[in-house]
Amino acid sequence: MHWRWISATLSIREAARSLFPPPRRTLCFVAVSLWAGVHVAPEALLAELPREQFALLDSEYRQQIRPMMQRFCLNCHSSASPAGDLDLERFVALEEVRRDTKAWVKVAEMLRNGEMPPEGMEQPTPEQRNQLRGWVERYLHAEALANAGDPGAVGLRRLNNAEYTYTIRDLTGVTLNPAREFPIDSAAGEGFTNASNALAMSPALFKKYLDAAKGIAQHAVLLPEGFRFSPHATRRDWTDDCVAQIRAFYEQFVPSVETPQGRGGALPLEAYFAAALAERQSLSTGRTNLAAVARKQGLNSKYFNLLWAALVSGKSSILLDDLRSRWRTARPGDAPALAAEVAAWQKGLWVYNPVGLIGKKGSRPQWLEPVSPVGASHELRFNFPPLQKGELAKEVVVSLVAARLDDGKEPRAIVWQRPRLAAEGRPDVILRDIAAPADVAPAKFGWRPDGRQIDSASLWMSAPSVSVFRLPAELAAGRELVATALLDDADAEGSVQVEIAEGVAKARPELQPNAVSVALSKINIGADVRIVTHLRPILAGDRSAAKKQLETAMEDHRRLFPPGVCYTKIVPADETLTLNLLYREDHHLTRLMLDATQQTRLDELWKQLLYVSQDALRTVDVLESLLETTIKHPQEGVFDSAVAPIQKRAATFRQELLASEPRHLDGLVAFAERAYRRPLAVEEKSELRGLYGRLRKQELTHDDAFRLTLARVFTAAPFLYRLETAPTGPFAAEVAPLELASRLSYFLWSSQPDEMLRKSAESGRLARGNEPARMRLKNGSTSVSHPNVTELQRHTRRMLKDPRVRRLAVEFGCQWLHIQDFDSGETKSEKLFPEFAGLRGEMFEEAVRFLTDLFERDGSLLSLLDAGHTFVNGHLAKFYGLEVPGVPEWRRVEGIQQYGRGGILGFSATLARQSGASRTSPILRGNWISEVLLGEKLPRPPKNVPQLADEVPEGLTERQLIERHRSDAACAKCHDRIDPLGFALEGFDAIGRRRERDAAGLPIDSRTTLPDGSVVEGLAGLRTYLREKRCDAFIRQFCRKLFGYALGRELQLSDEPLLAEMQQRLRRNNYRVSTAVEAIVLSPQFRKIRKSE
Amino acid sequence: MTQHPFSRRKMLRGLGVTMALPWMESLAVWGDTPTSGSRPDSQAPIRLAVLFAGNGFHQGQWWAKGRGSDMELGAVLAPLSEFRRKLLLVNGLFNAEALKGNIHSSQTGNLLSGAPLASGGEIRSGTSFDQVIAAQYGQTTKVPSLVLGCERSNPGIHKNYSMLYSSHISWSSPTAPTPLELYPALAFDRLFKDEAQRGDRSVLDAVLEEAARFRGQVSRHDQRKLDEYLNSVREVEQRIERAGQREELQGWRPTLDKPNMSRPPDGIPQNIADHMRLMCDVLVLAFQTDTTRVCTLKLNNDHSYLQFPNLNVEVGHHELSHSDRGKMSPDWLKVNQFFVEQCAYMARKLDAIQEGERTALDNSVVMLCSSMMSGIHDATKLPVALLGGGGGQLETGRVLDYGGQPNRKMCSLYLSLLDKYGIRLKQFGDSNERLAEI
Repeated sequence: MHWRWISATLSIREAARSLFPPPRRTLCFVAVSLWAGVHVAPEALLAELPREQFALLDSEYRQQIRPMMQRFCLNCHSSASPAGDLDLERFVALEEVRRDTKAWVKVAEMLRNGEMPPEGMEQPTPEQRNQLRGWVERYLHAEALANAGDPGAVGLRRLNNAEYTYTIRDLTGVTLNPAREFPIDSAAGEGFTNASNALAMSPALFKKYLDAAKGIAQHAVLLPEGFRFSPHATRRDWTDDCVAQIRAFYEQFVPSVETPQGRGGALPLEAYFAAALAERQSLSTGRTNLAAVARKQGLNSKYFNLLWAALVSGKSSILLDDLRSRWRTARPGDAPALAAEVAAWQKGLWVYNPVGLIGKKGSRPQWLEPVSPVGASHELRFNFPPLQKGELAKEVVVSLVAARLDDGKEPRAIVWQRPRLAAEGRPDVILRDIAAPADVAPAKFGWRPDGRQIDSASLWMSAPSVSVFRLPAELAAGRELVATALLDDADAEGSVQVEIAEGVAKARPELQPNAVSVALSKINIGADVRIVTHLRPILAGDRSAAKKQLETAMEDHRRLFPPGVCYTKIVPADETLTLNLLYREDHHLTRLMLDATQQTRLDELWKQLLYVSQDALRTVDVLESLLETTIKHPQEGVFDSAVAPIQKRAATFRQELLASEPRHLDGLVAFAERAYRRPLAVEEKSELRGLYGRLRKQELTHDDAFRLTLARVFTAAPFLYRLETAPTGPFAAEVAPLELASRLSYFLWSSQPDEMLRKSAESGRLARGNEPARMRLKNGSTSVSHPNVTELQRHTRRMLKDPRVRRLAVEFGCQWLHIQDFDSGETKSEKLFPEFAGLRGEMFEEAVRFLTDLFERDGSLLSLLDAGHTFVNGHLAKFYGLEVPGVPEWRRVEGIQQYGRGGILGFSATLARQSGASRTSPILRGNWISEVLLGEKLPRPPKNVPQLADEVPEGLTERQLIERHRSDAACAKCHDRIDPLGFALEGFDAIGRRRERDAAGLPIDSRTTLPDGSVVEGLAGLRTYLREKRCDAFIRQFCRKLFGYALGRELQLSDEPLLAEMQQRLRRNNYRVSTAVEAIVLSPQFRKIRKSE
Repeated sequence: MTQHPFSRRKMLRGLGVTMALPWMESLAVWGDTPTSGSRPDSQAPIRLAVLFAGNGFHQGQWWAKGRGSDMELGAVLAPLSEFRRKLLLVNGLFNAEALKGNIHSSQTGNLLSGAPLASGGEIRSGTSFDQVIAAQYGQTTKVPSLVLGCERSNPGIHKNYSMLYSSHISWSSPTAPTPLELYPALAFDRLFKDEAQRGDRSVLDAVLEEAARFRGQVSRHDQRKLDEYLNSVREVEQRIERAGQREELQGWRPTLDKPNMSRPPDGIPQNIADHMRLMCDVLVLAFQTDTTRVCTLKLNNDHSYLQFPNLNVEVGHHELSHSDRGKMSPDWLKVNQFFVEQCAYMARKLDAIQEGERTALDNSVVMLCSSMMSGIHDATKLPVALLGGGGGQLETGRVLDYGGQPNRKMCSLYLSLLDKYGIRLKQFGDSNERLAEI
């Protein structure tokens, strides 16, 4: 079909330039006026106008046309022996003609191309030819109008491989490639793989669908409340996925990495302090608020609130008071110092425990455990480093410090019990025996100042004071100085901070941060003995006010500044043998940072992890092996207490598993509705459950039965086919709203509707008011008025901006341009183009990105020809010789016409695809421009291709070799039309690289004379020619292809009016691609359905 | 659903689902109900292998003269010289329908059926003769037929004909080209992987029942489309049923019951020669184990873009075929011989399998063909070479030339060949007479 709906002067000019005589001008204007009328009241016209017209056409046919055909056509195209299977004799009158319009479309084509009557037969005069042609075209025009908007016979469509893959992807949310090994789809209709005819089914293919379905079902992850899909298909991977999800959740709040400064899950305090400092003024004056600051700085608002409240609080709390006073005077750069101060105290208030064996007898209860440095007595230990070999023995200096805190309570004194140098396997050395007493005043061994005696090796000290000891180095080396410090008066109200420090120390009046160290002694399985030592413990009476005050202050600190808020490792690896495969500790996170929704989410994630990993069951196995390991082992019995809880947890979990089975089935039924792209009927739901039940009866496990039932959904006709309900009567009717939604989403996204679209369809909004209000303009044409943009248009516009529109670029765009599968399937001679294999993916990507961008930005269709931009990565930029600095990533580049590129003519993918494996083919390229871009119908090659002279003269360019084709008249008929177009692109080699010389080393000549006499040179010339002289043909062909793609069928005569309208609208709308898309989506062809028969 | 699955299956049969096989439909009008299997049970069955090579051959070098071991062969056929006594070269045949389009896509999709090809976005050919055999004779084996290919199909339209026609010679029905298996490993699986898994039949029953329900709701045109689906599901289900009763149906014990080669590696071999060899190996193995008796192997597409770095040829196949101007082109000849060598390789393997007094080659008909004689779309005389004795039914070592004779239709050849498989039709495609000499 190639009937031009001539309605603008441009087209008339174009027609005049084409190879054939133009239709009569009057006809053109008839077309225009007819057409304008159709907008106004199509139904009325259809009823009235054609009837008169057909009567006229009928009488013309009988009186003039039929006799002419008798003379020129029927000799060959008789009923008895119809040449080319075309029987024209049977068309006695218009009635018969109208029954086989297709035959007349062919007649028109033959007349237009001047192919008939063939050479050597009697030829009609030009007047006769015009008369015949004029009648055929007028008839076709009338016929088109009479049936305009006919949805046509669109057969049942199976999802093609791409649609199937995308649909599975959108349904499951994961990227699977189940169709990887399916047979390649074929094309039909307007040349696309989504046409019903091309989508056959066969046992072999069905078997592949079945296998693929089972494969996809293996990716389903059963969850407590339903199921989801994973890119993986093993429980181990699913568990890892869940762990990763929780880690990712934690990471929204705290870094999970273990740093030298701390373990994972630490609060990023510096950032919080920095924000508080930076905004101190504006927050204090109320110019901004905490939520705004937190948002701006990317901080957790809840924690920022808590921190701010603590910093500005007037409530006294020793540790925080220190911080507050520093904060008040701190400058913006002091955030690290503040954080360091907090960190210093954290070290003295917390210990980290290993978690792998929590639950074992004697294990600590949790990962992060608070410890208190406050007590009536503390054992302190100070390590002297061993003497280095050859080091000269000398004195070492150590101070026993008793600092008095400035809290107004007094008086205070402490006793160091038996300070001694201790080492394993060696006798203790009593400090008293080696230290000069003079050094220790006002402290005294054995005596209090008032003369009361104490143990002779113990030292009494008042606070504040420091006792400095100088010890012989050889004695101290490798030993520990050990002493227990206690308050002299256990009932004293005050407190003393004690320390054994190196050198000559001072007693400071402020509380110094403590630090805890933990020594673990291990016997094979876990920590057995834990020795906690404080660096600067605080002595206070158990019932003293000081202790109470200190503990409160420390708890205030702990509550606000836990060193870790969550155990980000989740999977413990801190013991050689582990009882806990997973470990959760995140109550600090919950308390300090999470809102209610986040808490629920986190709980849900953990629930999923425990469910998916089947942790409760796996722990039973782990426990059993631990019990075996510890038989006749020093640790025998340490797990006994864990047995009952673990077994109980497993039993509960089994119940939970059982209880969740119906929910999986519920989920499956809900999933089937999405897969079927419509709600399920009650019987359909019970049928799915019934299959599951039957499978269980065949002794399949829940898991297996569930997966097979899921596989059944993926092999079902309502999933694999786009079933639409045809109206019962002979007339076209609107498709059901959900079917319309699917038509739209498969057109634009090659996949199922998303939730928004589905909801719109379900509510009835999508299908309602699909006739946009039209405004009658003064000049007789019409336009769509904007306030009446329909829901269908709104979704269309939304979907064109969605990233999924890339699929339209690939599935429609690349098939239209004939570069489908270029990235995987195009091959060139490796010897001549070794770089090609590494570039073809990028060449393809350029085209895909360009087309995606065209849809997303609603670009002009003309940019397909004359764009000044394209998309390249570093690799391709280099290949194109573009000067793009650095960055290998994909990006848009402007001004590429100066590099000889721009638009689809300059894509290396199109240039390479229309080339041979080793050399260019101007014939292929010319044919591509003619047929693919301009929609010209060329006759097929002649039956007996004449032989060219075998002897090829020396020194001919590739172009000159091809030009020899045209020396034969039969060949020249087509080659004169296509080759010159291809010659213009000779400046690009077989992989689309610019070149100055051809493969034989001869200079390129890309200047060429086109069939209409235009002379063009190179890509630039060709582009200008297409843009200025063939624009209408190009746009028309694009519309035709897009329309055919959207409908999944070949266009038919009755589509011509809409094609013409699309072109008109495009001209008015700067050729915005959305104009074409919307015209299609709103057309009755797209929205309606009729019986196929 | 409370009914027993078996009774539901019966119900489906009652609905006429299994009756609607489109390919059976067309057969029914052709002729007598065929007898099942033509050979006494104790003898090896005869097999059919069709090898297709696209874009034709060197027109000046596809010839043979003389008889038996004295036969002289043109350069293209030289790789078959060891089989001269088992070769039957049939010259001068043509497909009238294939002359209408005069371009690749319009003259290949009907090579094995002689049917008219629909153009203009439609897809319609005819059931090919290999699939007629598969639908009947093939029902006794685990796999009715194997349809293999060594080049991906080309999605697209060329000169108003779908390029599907250029890549599909085997058609299960006029609207259903048989999908080609490109992966040697998957072809192997198709033959030897255990089909049935617990629960599969329940699943197939469920989808069958569901689709049968929709059948009543769609238009008649769509019913045909849905029938393709229903029949495919049925066929897979039957295959599962048949799996248990192989020998009983086959009536012959093959010389090999398990594959004697390992499963080919996953994926498509990079090297085209390896790919073709593997496919030939799978084909021979299929015959030897009697897993299937009908196999169609498309070595490449018509309008093929294959390249032959393995032969040091730098021009693609299609381009190369157009360089054939009747004058010896060394590259073109090399490539031609490469294709014929694949046929020779397969014949050699079959000939090495002794089945009683005959070899597997003697018990087969191997047909090497293309849809045009030369690369310039000349389909007036097609290249056809038959190898193997068809179980003693074919007289080989001969050259037949039908050029200029009134009965020189490809479909006449197919009628003759169908006879060998016990399928006696009055008419096939555009012919109602056999080739008397075959």
